[in-house]
Amino acid sequence: MILSLARASLVRHRTRTLLAVIGVAISAAMLLDMVMLASGMRVSFRSLLLSQGFQIRLAPRGTLPFDTDATIPGASSIIARLEARADVLAVSPVLGAQLHVERGGASVSAAALGTLAAVQGDYKVLTGRAPTGDGEAAVNDALLAAVGARIGDTLRVAAGFDPQLRGYTGQRTIRIVGRVHFTYLAAGERALALPLAVLQAMEGPSQADRVSLMMVRLRDGAAVEAARQAIDREIPEVSAISTASAIEQVEQRLSYFRQLAFILGTVSLAVGFLLVTTLVTVSVNERLGEIAVLRAIGVRRIRIVEQILIEGTVIMLGGAVAGLGLGLLTARYLNSILAAFPGLPEAIDFFLFQPRDAWVALGLLAACGILAGVYPAWHGASRPIAGTLREEAVA
Amino acid sequence: MIALLPLIPLLAAQSIDSQPPRHPPRTIAVDERLARDAGLRIGDTLVLAPTPGQAGDTVIVSALVKRPADPSEVARGAYRIRVHLDELQQLVGYGERVERFAVATRGHAATDTALGAIDASAFGFRAYSSREIAVESSTTFLVVSRFHRAIGVITIVASAVFLLCIMLLKVDERRRDVAALRLMGISARTIMRSVVLESALIAACGSVAGVALGSAVSAFVNWHYQRVYRTPLTFSLVTGEIIGIAVALSLCLGVGAGWLAAQRLVRQPPLSLFGR
Repeated sequence: MILSLARASLVRHRTRTLLAVIGVAISAAMLLDMVMLASGMRVSFRSLLLSQGFQIRLAPRGTLPFDTDATIPGASSIIARLEARADVLAVSPVLGAQLHVERGGASVSAAALGTLAAVQGDYKVLTGRAPTGDGEAAVNDALLAAVGARIGDTLRVAAGFDPQLRGYTGQRTIRIVGRVHFTYLAAGERALALPLAVLQAMEGPSQADRVSLMMVRLRDGAAVEAARQAIDREIPEVSAISTASAIEQVEQRLSYFRQLAFILGTVSLAVGFLLVTTLVTVSVNERLGEIAVLRAIGVRRIRIVEQILIEGTVIMLGGAVAGLGLGLLTARYLNSILAAFPGLPEAIDFFLFQPRDAWVALGLLAACGILAGVYPAWHGASRPIAGTLREEAVA
Repeated sequence: MIALLPLIPLLAAQSIDSQPPRHPPRTIAVDERLARDAGLRIGDTLVLAPTPGQAGDTVIVSALVKRPADPSEVARGAYRIRVHLDELQQLVGYGERVERFAVATRGHAATDTALGAIDASAFGFRAYSSREIAVESSTTFLVVSRFHRAIGVITIVASAVFLLCIMLLKVDERRRDVAALRLMGISARTIMRSVVLESALIAACGSVAGVALGSAVSAFVNWHYQRVYRTPLTFSLVTGEIIGIAVALSLCLGVGAGWLAAQRLVRQPPLSLFGR
């Protein structure tokens, strides 16, 4: 009976109920988006960092990987020291540079990564193979499109200019041996991978035996934090950064979005709560006589309270379910806006859907729906029966 | 001539060692954030080295520099110092190279001419106008701005629905009053106007409260993020134009919601409003 009465009450004012559900749906969508935003970056960034199986990154002391143009000197000696450690499985050195790529009279600039093909974790080979010898390179789709080349074609690349001689420096003719996808680069960023020694030689004496970054893969069961601390202590040229500390530093930089998510999520919840409270309060005030009659014929006070609480919860949950779909749509749209951040790796999602997020949003809304009905339910159910009936009869 | 050094890891501040300097120490300017964190003061002696632990040049802190309100650097925690150009070139083995030149021109026309002339004659570098650089470096903020606008649209839609709901509840509450007024001869048009006026007044009161709340929140946001990022940058700006747009939007929504709600009242016959 309670359910029937609650349903009848909601259906009696269809427009009002529909508007309330729409209002709650928008609030729910916003809440879901903000819950996704709060956790999405962390999860997405973490999975990106761990995707290649490297737990520790070494950057020039005091910097984050590729945050500056600084490089690590004496790379081969550092690699040897790292490989001598019992807990280190592999070390992948990376040198980053900007190269000029020429083909058929056209010249474009592209990011170049010098890596060791056997241990690299910066790209995935889509077609062909990784570059291993002098004069070989693997290229991503953006660069292939920019220079109109294919696997097997040759390109002229240069590391810089010599203004006095009016010519390129560090020039090479390279053959494209593979088409690759760079894991950490932004969408549409033109890039190519070369063997590390080739890129170091192209950059000249200033980059001899230098790298921008080293990625360290530990053996199974090795203590990551202990290894990080030991490396950081023993090698003064580098800052050792674990996945956890990298996430922490990125979160610190992007704390704005987390705080925005918290504030907007709270506001969404408050708006939904106010909307349902207002609606249920007005609805109860309109039905004081009806409630008094129910109580007069023996319906217990608790049943009245239950009915009103069900009304609030149904509106909240109805809106929440509708808001789930709406939230996923708006999240995709908002994510497409933020994906345009310059330099943001393509794999990073600000709004990452996880079932846990939906349950959190749904739980919060359900709790709000119940709370929203508490005051009007108590107000309606605790009115004196005789007095209320008389007032309603007079009215 | 002063050079800007963006790479703090190239530099290591350490106590003066026992080796006497080969020439009188030169001076550097230190960003006040670094000075505060490292406990540096004017007159302190430091050693600048390209790599931690290596020998370097002894310098004296001669000035503390306030960081400019540069949005492109707000999230970066990098420290900065300013060093004499020749000293930095020598220190990092950069030869006689520089990363960029800043050229002052005599007006817009001269800028365009200079850009063309430099690009035509120079090899190995390109000239950009300050406007081009500003557009390029503000991409991040354009993205954030678009994100804020999208959130704003969602908020406006939510507010509109909320307002419409409230107005609907308000007019529903007064069905009998309105029925009585209609039976007394008050025209539907007058009732409509009164409802719309009421909703406009509610929207106006809400706008005033919203402007006050928004200003307070804006002040808090600036205070909070200026502390978090240690920058004089203004994060939230409440301008007359923004207030005007917000109030106008609020009034439009209020009037629209009132009109829609009033339509429900005046379209029904008075006796039907009485429930007969």
